[in-house]
Amino acid sequence: MKILYENEVNSDMSKLDQAWKNDETFAFISNRSGCPEDWVRTALSNLPLEFNKDHFVLFTSGSTGRPKLVVGKKERAEHLAKVLHEIQDSHSVNQTVLLLPLTYSYAFVNQWLWAKLHNRKIIYSGGFSKPDLVKKYLEEAADCLLCLVGAMLPLLKSNFGEHICFPGVTRLHFAGGMFPQESLPLIEKIFPNALIFNNYGCAEAMPRLTIRKAGETNIAHNIGRPIPGVNLKIGDEGEILFQSIYRASCYYDHTGLHIPSDDDWIPTGDFGEQIENGYWLIRGRKSEVFKRYGEKISFYQLLETVKVYWTHDAVFYRENDSSGEPGHVLLLSPNADEDQVRNILREFRKNYARALWPLRIESVENIPLLPNGKIDNIRFSSIPKTIHWMQRI
Amino acid sequence: MTNRTKLRDLLIDIFLLEPSEFRFDLERKEVKTWDSLGIVSMAVGIQETFRYHMTPEEAVAIKGIQGIIQLLESKGFSFNE
Repeated sequence: MKILYENEVNSDMSKLDQAWKNDETFAFISNRSGCPEDWVRTALSNLPLEFNKDHFVLFTSGSTGRPKLVVGKKERAEHLAKVLHEIQDSHSVNQTVLLLPLTYSYAFVNQWLWAKLHNRKIIYSGGFSKPDLVKKYLEEAADCLLCLVGAMLPLLKSNFGEHICFPGVTRLHFAGGMFPQESLPLIEKIFPNALIFNNYGCAEAMPRLTIRKAGETNIAHNIGRPIPGVNLKIGDEGEILFQSIYRASCYYDHTGLHIPSDDDWIPTGDFGEQIENGYWLIRGRKSEVFKRYGEKISFYQLLETVKVYWTHDAVFYRENDSSGEPGHVLLLSPNADEDQVRNILREFRKNYARALWPLRIESVENIPLLPNGKIDNIRFSSIPKTIHWMQRI
Repeated sequence: MTNRTKLRDLLIDIFLLEPSEFRFDLERKEVKTWDSLGIVSMAVGIQETFRYHMTPEEAVAIKGIQGIIQLLESKGFSFNE
């Protein structure tokens, strides 16, 4: 099977065009994916012969941090890109600027494949490793579609300031995590002419399941309604399950090869619920919900509490306490003062048993993030942190 | 800093009390956050602040702040400052 690496494609997009045109299935992988070469080769060699044609293969670290190979059918992905074009009203859009790695299924479908099928221009910016180029392309943009993850907002602010304005961006998409609802006024200021969408999905969905316009609600974890061709339901343990006509044909992870049928309900990895008018809410990542001394902990829920008094960046990361019980640490950015931390602690005391309080509250000036919005653990471990409070357990 | 002040600051921090809530005659049953994990935190905090290592039995037996003071006084700490 042909393997295309991201850096080859970034320097010559026609290679991806050609791979898509060929019948033979191809794998598209980031040079910095962290997937060991042996794992990639083994995973690809485990694919049944039926997937050797008309498919494409992407790799993801998934929510667990473990590598996962996802096989999509070209025809289904094209169908999805066309559906997104209609329901996100992209007829008037002429171009798209690429800030995210193209090996992300989000950027791959919403931008590259969309542009290819609708004969729109795609501009490779190099992302925030080349902020001057990003600024230039966004300032020159006209009727432009942009795909971001929420974690890129601090990068926009730190690189360009809060007074920058990109009026040529007319469609703005967010995915890859909770929608940055609290930053909506700032987003609307930077992109005053953009119709803004929250996109929800997962790699196995290839990738889209639901969409909502940003202004439809002020609840960040409202993911909107399923797109046509997608059904959602809640499984026995509260996890959101899906059926989709765009889903991955198969996926391979540390548990082996999975080939879902049309009748199967596929787990999203998120807990959630359906609310009124067909909208759905996320209640937390399955991997971010765990039990501590018998109390169920959801980072999403805890973050809602933190945000009562903290409007900047906040994340939880997991750490065991001294008795080996799983716990969590709250990390704030930028550096917090003692009054702010006291206010957050008051909310924890008011709302939760001690088992749900963080083991520590720390702050850093900037949280080092990967382009997909997850913490860059390598850089994170080496930066100085201020410890404001700790539980002493 | 006196031992009384050190103990007050420590317990406010551990049990997330408001300074106005704190009293030296507070009993454990009055402090919702003085739960089983709170007992562990308190014992570790006493160790850090006063260098006295409470046994688990001592930590569980304490019924209020006066109990902590009595225990520490029995180990040679003075709270009559």
